[in-house]
Amino acid sequence: MSDFKPILTEHIHTENSHTLEFYRSVGGYSALEKVLKTMAPDDVTNEVKASNLRGRGGAGFSAGLKWGFIPKEGDKPKYLVCNADESEPGTFKDRLLMTKVPHQMLEGIIIASYAIQAQLAFVYIRGEFYSEYLILEQMIAEAKEASLLGKNILDSGYDLDVVIHRGAGAYICGEETGLLESLEGKRGWPRIKPPFPAIEGYLKSPTIVNNVETLANVPHIINRGADWFRAIGPEKGPGPKLFCISGRVKKPGVYEEPMGISLQDLIYDRAGGITKDRKLKAVFPGGSSSPILTAEETEDLKMDFSGLASVNSMLGSAGIIVMDETVNMVKACLNVARFYAHESCGQCTPCREGTSWLVKILTRLYDGNGTRRDIEMLLEITDNMGGLADFSLGSFGKTVCPFGEAVSWPVRSFIEKFENEFVACVNIGGAVV
Amino acid sequence: MPLLKIDDREIEVAAGTTVLDAALANDIEIPHYCYHPVLEIVGSCRMCMVEIEGMPKLQVSCNTRIGNALPDRKVDGMYDMVVSTKSDIVKRARENTLEFLLLNHPLDCPVCDQAGECFLQDYSFRYGRAHSRFEDEKRVRPAEDLGAGVVINQNRCIMCTRCVRFTREISGTGELFVQQRGNSTKISILEDKPLDNLLAGNVTDICPVGALLSKDYIHRNRIWNLDRQPSVCQECSVGCNVDIYHKNGKVFRTSARENLDVNGYFICDTGRYSYHDYEAVERVTSPMIRKDKKWQKISWDGAFKEIFEKLGRKKEGDSNNVAGIFSPFHTSEANFMFARLMQNVFKERAVIGTLPLPKEEEKKFPGGFRISGDCSPNWRGLTEVSSYIYEDIFNELKKQKIKLMYALDDGVNRELTQEWKDLLRNLDFLVVQTYAMTPLAERAHLLLPGAAPLEREGTLMNDSGRIQWLRPVIPLKGSSRPDWKIVMEVMNTVGKRELDYSHVNEVLAEMNERIPAYEGVTFFKLGESGMSINEEARES
Repeated sequence: MSDFKPILTEHIHTENSHTLEFYRSVGGYSALEKVLKTMAPDDVTNEVKASNLRGRGGAGFSAGLKWGFIPKEGDKPKYLVCNADESEPGTFKDRLLMTKVPHQMLEGIIIASYAIQAQLAFVYIRGEFYSEYLILEQMIAEAKEASLLGKNILDSGYDLDVVIHRGAGAYICGEETGLLESLEGKRGWPRIKPPFPAIEGYLKSPTIVNNVETLANVPHIINRGADWFRAIGPEKGPGPKLFCISGRVKKPGVYEEPMGISLQDLIYDRAGGITKDRKLKAVFPGGSSSPILTAEETEDLKMDFSGLASVNSMLGSAGIIVMDETVNMVKACLNVARFYAHESCGQCTPCREGTSWLVKILTRLYDGNGTRRDIEMLLEITDNMGGLADFSLGSFGKTVCPFGEAVSWPVRSFIEKFENEFVACVNIGGAVV
Repeated sequence: MPLLKIDDREIEVAAGTTVLDAALANDIEIPHYCYHPVLEIVGSCRMCMVEIEGMPKLQVSCNTRIGNALPDRKVDGMYDMVVSTKSDIVKRARENTLEFLLLNHPLDCPVCDQAGECFLQDYSFRYGRAHSRFEDEKRVRPAEDLGAGVVINQNRCIMCTRCVRFTREISGTGELFVQQRGNSTKISILEDKPLDNLLAGNVTDICPVGALLSKDYIHRNRIWNLDRQPSVCQECSVGCNVDIYHKNGKVFRTSARENLDVNGYFICDTGRYSYHDYEAVERVTSPMIRKDKKWQKISWDGAFKEIFEKLGRKKEGDSNNVAGIFSPFHTSEANFMFARLMQNVFKERAVIGTLPLPKEEEKKFPGGFRISGDCSPNWRGLTEVSSYIYEDIFNELKKQKIKLMYALDDGVNRELTQEWKDLLRNLDFLVVQTYAMTPLAERAHLLLPGAAPLEREGTLMNDSGRIQWLRPVIPLKGSSRPDWKIVMEVMNTVGKRELDYSHVNEVLAEMNERIPAYEGVTFFKLGESGMSINEEARES
């Protein structure tokens, strides 16, 4: 693994890496030139499809395949939206990319927009990211000045404008249809699907929503080819990947590694091991929405889509949250549930009612007023909101958007994997540790 | 057309139909809250989930469309979609959704006005759990006044957002919105922008639970104690279909009744609350004659004799002409009999017309709902049963120096100009057939007590030519009689006829013979939704 050289974050330690001048000095926008001068839109989509670049936002859907869903016919305008509403707990990779190399993302945006023939693209940035927003505004100004945006980009005849839109601080606006509602100036309530955004997205027109990191990969795929990209990491989801490590580690941060790196390497090598050399207890591998893993499950675990699927969890946003032996799992679970209860948009029944019910019971348990029946109830509630993907229980797809699953998966995994701590709360009368 | 198998039934449906629409159209119940046939599909209540063969998770039936499956993808080689609405998984999903909906619901059915027509009650009864597993404190929030006579009991709200979508899509006024998020979400208004539109009351009808309430009906009665009378609104010439809830001659509530050919699913607030107009009026319930500037009750026979004396005797000259005032507020049957009286009894002495018609600007709403500019319910019916009448007879009365008049009164909302008042004052004899002491009635010499709007039976024709059955909600008051019958008896007295219709359907049968537009129209055929005018017969 040590021969891997960072690709997306290669230049982040250089001063002024966020400027156009610097980005161009390291070959930036050469992919865009190649695309505009030598490639047809479909060629771009096909190249990305061939690279097997999978979405870095959480769902891991093939980017090229998604672009291909944009209808070729019809006179509706098409839109590209870069999802920079990075809000998943434990996730801070897009922020780094925007702060340090925003033009890499912008180049990806322009190429993707060209591929789907959009004339207007948006960057929907999390409201709390104010200084990042200023960087992006500077990025747009520089790009316009250099004829990389606006009319007739690089004399190619292709026009594109990019608008930076700030969110107002809601986790759910990172869900692509909630984002589109918000972008339209409405309340950020996810839409019922179908129709999917590629058919009816922004203002009911075909729209592609891609994550910042996904788009940042695109210029490199164009420059070095799909084969090069596919050779990095596993075949079924290759490429460089940013891993965000936080929690009880000595060196928390963003680490770029090939897909498929072992979690042990990330925690013990890159992040320097567990704080105060304590024992590892549990890990969220892909943000707080991913089912939690026990220390045993992290052994020999490869950090890629299929590796995590093999332990019934998911890569998600690659936000790795590390918990050591001193962490009380009931408290951690309550903390996660509280977050989701606070962020539930309130649109659909199971999530609106279920999240706060979970919090009520978990609070009771944590305070020592719970019963064994409460533990069973927690499992039943998570089942009724989303549960594990076990159709025999009919416990899947209960909500309008994946939020229902995003809260019930982790909560359920806490209880199933650390049941003794929940039982202890009942027996002893509250959380110890 | 795609073949749908739903439970054990096979149904052919048009491609693109949703599973829920197909089920409802075939009397298969799939419980639902947020779905409403004319509002945007949001799929948020999660109540209408069904199991579909080949799909890995339950689907909301409101947003699942049935298409043509490829030949090799058909289930059992023939079905384009196979749906189960009763499988254990579906039953459990419903049970759990209902449990979620009831977590914070106060279960105050004993004092809730929605009780008896509440979908939380009905679905809980059919699909819910007997006991709640929720042991914590319920969320309690105060009720709020939303404006336009609508209040919200926040504790009962299930956030289906039908009301929000209504104000956005149907009234186009957008006063309602969702405030806060998660478990704190609630329906709200901006402080300085309350509900303020003529369709606002509909949100109380479309609310599937007891959250949105009309102040007009709060704690006034229990719905199961009231009788429901399907009827037709008489406030404009759209003729919206309504249900009027009443008991012992007293009306308690009016709600919209679905009729896709007329008003869709809604009514306006003018119509909704119009029943109050007839509560406070000074009723005329007995024939009365004015003697020495005072009203005196007389018998019906006395009244008819008086008419015979004043109008029946033929004299020479124009001054002997009789003005017949029709009313577009009356049923076609009453106007038809009146036309016969004028044409066949008074003949060339008759000068026929109406008071100036009450007109306003037509109002059209974004969702297609319309309030007609013609404020009378039966102008078209009137013109069908009696052609060649003066729309505003004033000038003709002046010109011909008319001294005798028989008028069907328009009713309580009619105002008269000074010109008209002066003209009426100078008449030698004015007989007014009315239910209330209106400005017209006040100037009469003789009053004949007819039926008030909610007491009438007959047909009304709306401005697009639809004939509808107006049914009486409450009984006639005092010694008043149906208007068609009074006119019939005047015909018998003045015209020496022997007409003996005992029910308004005999008048309608007579209209079948004489009025082309009414050929083949019977109350039985009109039913609850009415029928379009017989254009063919009318043209020929």
